[in-house]
Amino acid sequence: MADFKVDMRGMGSVSVLDIRGYLDAHTTPELENAFNKLIDDRNYKVVVNLSDLNYISSAGLGVFMAYIETMRENDGDIKFSNLKKDVYNIFDLLGFPMLYEFYDNEKDAVEKFGESK
Amino acid sequence: MHLQDQNSALKNLSALVDFSNLVNSSLDLDFTLNNILFTCFAKLQITKGVVLFVEDNKLNIKSSKGFVNHQLDDFPEISIDNFEADKKFKTFLKQHHLQYYIKIQTASRFIGLIILGEKLNKKPYLEKDKDFLTTLINIGSTAIENSLAVERLKEINKTLDSKINQLSSLFDLSKEFSGIIEEKRVSKLLVFSVIAQMLVSKFALVTCENRKPKVLESRIPVDELENVLGDCLLVGETEPLDEIKIKEKYSKLWNLGIVLAIPMLIKGETKGLILLGKRLNNLTYTKSDIEYVSSVGGLAIISIENSRLFKEAIEKQKMEKDLEIAKNIQQNLLPSSIPKLEEIEISAYNKTARQVGGDYYDLIKLNDKELLLAIADVSGKGVQAALLMANLQAFLKSIVKQNIPLVHASNLINDLVSENTTNGSFITFFWGKLNLETKVFEYVNAGHNPPLLLRNGEIIKLKKGGMILGVMNTVIPYESEKVSLKTDDVIVLFTDGITEAMNTKNEEYSDERLEELSLQKANASSEEILNAIIDDIHEHTWDAEQSDDITCLVIKVK
Repeated sequence: MADFKVDMRGMGSVSVLDIRGYLDAHTTPELENAFNKLIDDRNYKVVVNLSDLNYISSAGLGVFMAYIETMRENDGDIKFSNLKKDVYNIFDLLGFPMLYEFYDNEKDAVEKFGESK
Repeated sequence: MHLQDQNSALKNLSALVDFSNLVNSSLDLDFTLNNILFTCFAKLQITKGVVLFVEDNKLNIKSSKGFVNHQLDDFPEISIDNFEADKKFKTFLKQHHLQYYIKIQTASRFIGLIILGEKLNKKPYLEKDKDFLTTLINIGSTAIENSLAVERLKEINKTLDSKINQLSSLFDLSKEFSGIIEEKRVSKLLVFSVIAQMLVSKFALVTCENRKPKVLESRIPVDELENVLGDCLLVGETEPLDEIKIKEKYSKLWNLGIVLAIPMLIKGETKGLILLGKRLNNLTYTKSDIEYVSSVGGLAIISIENSRLFKEAIEKQKMEKDLEIAKNIQQNLLPSSIPKLEEIEISAYNKTARQVGGDYYDLIKLNDKELLLAIADVSGKGVQAALLMANLQAFLKSIVKQNIPLVHASNLINDLVSENTTNGSFITFFWGKLNLETKVFEYVNAGHNPPLLLRNGEIIKLKKGGMILGVMNTVIPYESEKVSLKTDDVIVLFTDGITEAMNTKNEEYSDERLEELSLQKANASSEEILNAIIDDIHEHTWDAEQSDDITCLVIKVK
């Protein structure tokens, strides 16, 4: 089985999720758990750093769709940073850039949360 | 030709070559259009220009330069048929001081118009300006057509890419589904994939069980949804329903924001529905989208159905295992041999039904002159009943050793059973102590079918006692009765499995038939009486499967 890992870091009031490896139907439960934990801890401002993500399937993308409303309803958001080109293309193909913010680097994404405050 | 003219012709020519090189170096449409406009501006000192493209037989603004934001928002709807005579078109030109327009066209089609404003020096367009523009646009048209072709290709590529993406998503899911046997996981993955592919945030996944809708996943309040779905009316639908149909046939569903309903079928029968709201990118669902959702749904429902069947099979296996355990427990609780006594004959019969009930009997020699006999029917079936029976046996065995009077012991047993039963289990119980020397039989009947004492062609029912065991702690003490038995007296003890034994017509064997037969056979030996009763029951039931245990004890005083 391909490697997959989700790690959580705090950057001030923003939580950063580092997602590594292959995110497909098989590995989505781990990502769901991470989001459920964020919601339990009332951390609604999330930057997802995908610098080490190699592949994402529709089921994986669906997790972000499933949690975005909850985050936004609580004055938070899910923002993406550091996507590889191939990975970005998949997000783009499905129209995600229309609904989510994408940043080249994590710092910009984290700072963006500060601005809107 | 004057030198000046020659120079200017050369200049024009070199401008055209430059332009040609430039616009043909890129296949980007915006880049091409910008360059056409800017080349015109530079060459003729113009400050304003608009490019219109033909789309759906109408003219639409594709690019403009030299206008302030929103200045062109008032562009009217102009059909390309006879647009030159259209008043709205003329007014538009006049309003924005646009002086000249040229058609962009290739050999095969009319692409659009380039419209240019007045020259900076307000002088009219000269013939040579117009010639230059015509040549320029001729070169430009080809570049535009090429760029358009590339755009179309990109569009096709994107469609193909998204088709490939959908296929790989299907592949990913089918791989995953085949390995999962959990309904919840399957529905989650289905929903994740569909909401990502379709960009929807409002959705529900519903199956139908026993004509009641079962909401597996939902972003719509479940109670509202269940209300609307009612008794699974949509089960009749085997084709996808688009917004128009939903609005028409299921307006309440439409009110919840559902614009697409896709049935999930197994062998042509609708087993569930995927309900989707509007797409967040405002696009409508295409045929290909619906096909994708149907395919995912098809995969998922098979997996969900399999998981249900699997669960059922496990459940059944568990139940059978449960019954087997219960049977073993029960068999081990019954006496393995019947005591042989000089003073009385004893015969016993017990047959457990397939779905184990809870019949129990016991015969315990307390000492040289006393015999304890007990018969009971524990409510419920399976392991639970068997365990309660085991408890009863344990209580019984420990109490009788302490030589406590029968009434007091009955009170105690009831308290013990009451404290050890939950969810309304109970036991009908009859027990008695027979003094083998004096032939005095003292018994207590706690709600059990009264045993029949056969004496001189008459029946005495042994009813004295009290409440069924296990309903509540003993408040009113049990009562006992002492009967002096005589030679040739017969006692028939039984459980309701006998009197309620059903034949194939659902008729019970009945108390009357048992009593009649017992009286008839009262002169025979205990074994003969017992056999006659069992044979008669078999004659009654034939092959009908019995749902309850059958137990019968016959005692005859020698």
